[in-house]
Amino acid sequence: MTMIKKIFIQNYKIFSRFDLELNSDLNIIVGDNEVGKSTILEGINLALTKRLNGRYAEYELTPYLFNRKCVDEYLKSIEEGNLSQLPKIIIELYFDENTELESLRGSMNTKKEDCIGIKLEIVFDEDYKEEYEKLLKKRSEIKLIPAEFYKVQWYSFANKSITLRSLPVRLSYIDATTIRLQSGADYYLQDIIKTDLDAKERVELNLAYRKLKELFSNQESIMGINNKLTNKKGAITDKSFSISIDISQKSNWETNLVPYLDDLPFQLIGGGEQSALKIMLALERKAEESNIILIEEPENHLSFSSMNILLEKIENKCKGKQIIIATHSAYVLNKLGLEHLILLRSNNNTATLKNLPSDTQNYFKKLSGYDTLRLVLAKKAILVEGPSDELIVKKAYLLKHNKLPIKNGVDVINVRGLSFSRFLDIARELETNVLVVTDNDGDYAKKVDEKYKDYRSFSNIKICRSKNNSAPTLEPQIVAENGQEVLNEIFGTSYENQESLKKYMESNKTECGLKIFETDRTIRFPKYIEDAIE
Amino acid sequence: MLLNKNKVIVACAGSGKTTGIVKEALKLGKQRVLITTYTNENLDQIETFLIEKTGCIPANITVQSWFSFLLQEGVRPYQNQKTERGRVESIFFIKNTKDAGKLKENLRYIPELKDSHYLTEKNYIYDDKVSKFIYKCDNRSKGLISKRLEKIYGSIFIDELQDFAGYDLNLLEILFNSHINILAVVDPRQATFSTNTAQKNRQYRKSEIYLWLSGEKSKNKIIIEEINNCYRCNQQICDFADKLFPDLPQTVSKNTRLTGHDGIFYISSKEVNAYISSYNPRILRYSKKTKTLGFCAINIGLSKGRTYDRVLIFPTKPMLEYLKTKELSKAGDKTKLYVAVTRARYSVAFVVD
Repeated sequence: MTMIKKIFIQNYKIFSRFDLELNSDLNIIVGDNEVGKSTILEGINLALTKRLNGRYAEYELTPYLFNRKCVDEYLKSIEEGNLSQLPKIIIELYFDENTELESLRGSMNTKKEDCIGIKLEIVFDEDYKEEYEKLLKKRSEIKLIPAEFYKVQWYSFANKSITLRSLPVRLSYIDATTIRLQSGADYYLQDIIKTDLDAKERVELNLAYRKLKELFSNQESIMGINNKLTNKKGAITDKSFSISIDISQKSNWETNLVPYLDDLPFQLIGGGEQSALKIMLALERKAEESNIILIEEPENHLSFSSMNILLEKIENKCKGKQIIIATHSAYVLNKLGLEHLILLRSNNNTATLKNLPSDTQNYFKKLSGYDTLRLVLAKKAILVEGPSDELIVKKAYLLKHNKLPIKNGVDVINVRGLSFSRFLDIARELETNVLVVTDNDGDYAKKVDEKYKDYRSFSNIKICRSKNNSAPTLEPQIVAENGQEVLNEIFGTSYENQESLKKYMESNKTECGLKIFETDRTIRFPKYIEDAIE
Repeated sequence: MLLNKNKVIVACAGSGKTTGIVKEALKLGKQRVLITTYTNENLDQIETFLIEKTGCIPANITVQSWFSFLLQEGVRPYQNQKTERGRVESIFFIKNTKDAGKLKENLRYIPELKDSHYLTEKNYIYDDKVSKFIYKCDNRSKGLISKRLEKIYGSIFIDELQDFAGYDLNLLEILFNSHINILAVVDPRQATFSTNTAQKNRQYRKSEIYLWLSGEKSKNKIIIEEINNCYRCNQQICDFADKLFPDLPQTVSKNTRLTGHDGIFYISSKEVNAYISSYNPRILRYSKKTKTLGFCAINIGLSKGRTYDRVLIFPTKPMLEYLKTKELSKAGDKTKLYVAVTRARYSVAFVVD
């Protein structure tokens, strides 16, 4: 079984130089927009099939495939009058040990590492030297990489040319974001069907299709038409003239046969079902074959229940296959297991959650609704334990910084009664800066400090609580800080003592939170909240 | 263990060396086997034998010329351990260039450490430096090339080992020391080609390869088996051929069929026409320059490995001299004469005037 253990990408789209290690089973790539999630899948597909956008890469070369940084460097040096080398794109796939593929072994990769693998390079084609030299004379007109002078090279790490035959890897690339609607089965679906049929079945399919076409011309009405046409002989040509279906090799079933689902042609069923079907077909393949499955945003176009079924299928059928998923969905991530996460950060760096405690993994697998992805993607997060706490922390931040926290990249996440430690486990692994704002529940030493003592040694984690045990939750803390007059004014109430005000606040938490958030009156916050928003 | 792993069969012409190799390879079942040899003619024969036996070349067997093997599995996989240059494109055959002599002379003064010692400007590797490059690269990378080959091939079979020379022999020594089983067949009498003309191991070139083999045997790297049965030529032809190499063992013919025109014959150029119409022999010549009275002929070198019922040979001057005097020192290129004679099953005729 061929599994990709490592990828290296150079000068391709967002990646200047990018290394990524992959799990041999499941990989879930998450990241902000524009950090290159799709580009990773596209790159793997390109290196394994020499295809880009479903066509041979040679026909799809454009200046925009090149990383901005290398283009700028090239253009700058051209402008300064230097003859600098044209940049090249490299995508290298390093495979696991595999006795079947030893002939792909060599050290002809950028790391000079002795390994089984393949590389795809988009390089300047020396055959265009003269044309390029001409272009260089009009240097000022060069504004882009002259991609028309480039060629695609596809070699093993032994520097031998690769053919699809010499690469016994089955790849399925399922992109639910752009389902291509074409006549007949699209390239990816064709590929999935073809690889599912054995050689005999494929011949039978072709044969049956050819017979069908022959039958067409033997129909009485068609014969009549053809007789009529034959009589026109001489008017146009001396040869006899007739019509029939093209039965040459070029036109085979792939272009004309369409898969049906419940009597509906495939391209007319919903996008979600199309991609789900493709994923299912790819998953059903025999495990003896080396299978790599790339899935782009499986959550697209799918209802919650369909997605649930699909994810279960992926989980159960992924054995012996390497699956790489790019997703924006916390649900997909939680369900398939946070331990498979690959977090892509904007500076071409990555992080994983391989060391996440297994009880926390299981916890999120069962309670998949939690927005783990928000924490994963946050640059800095403040964790709070309820909607009123969220509002008050946001208000305090707004007053202090004149901006809502999210504007500064600080995400205030309400963990909804969940133990903070589940989220802190994630933050610890990803080294995300996290502040916890928590009640002291009447005993800060025991109920807070003791509870979170394991996290104290991590400099990225800070727990904020009040030492005032007589105010066990946020509401009495606010009352103690502001007194009843200010609060009565904000809430439009007239409680005579602090006790009854506290009671009111505790039974109307969210409403009070909203009023505090919206008030123009000056209000003071307890010190542990002020600490949190520093 | 090493004693049994590597075997070299020293055999005479017509002993069925090439078919033997093919049969051995087919016995190995699923093991990955490389069959390699120097000349394309011989490569064709190996492929033909395989196809005759099994209908196609089995998936586990690779048939590849020695140079193609060296380039693909030797030079390229680890070339960056030795040079920063780009992919080695192909092999540059010096003798095919106009000023071969001058080029060779110039190359002699380029030190080994420079890439240009091995490579042309366009990244072609000189034919006489291919095995040297691999040998040095394998040394430098602590055996990466040979370790890779061990993972790919269980056995490597080599036909016509007498064509190997220079650093080829060092590479063979590396292979002898590897886990790969080596089976090679050699006929020192048929050393008509050399894979390269490098200075290294000059002393072993052509027929002297027997000396190198003896050395390897005494180091217990190989066992040597001799086959002196000839299934092609009759005893008269064998005896004539054996006289060219008196130091090597005598050949025993297993072809006892009589046709009424058997053995060695001498005819004059006037008789050629009549001889051809009565016996229809295959006509052999030394090279394109040899005059053959306008008859269609093939070069002796290319006839290697072939079998014909009868041959008619247009000899060179030294060959004529030998036929007259029987003095070996005057025979010129003995190996060519040996190959020409041993093509025939029944009769060999020389045109002598």
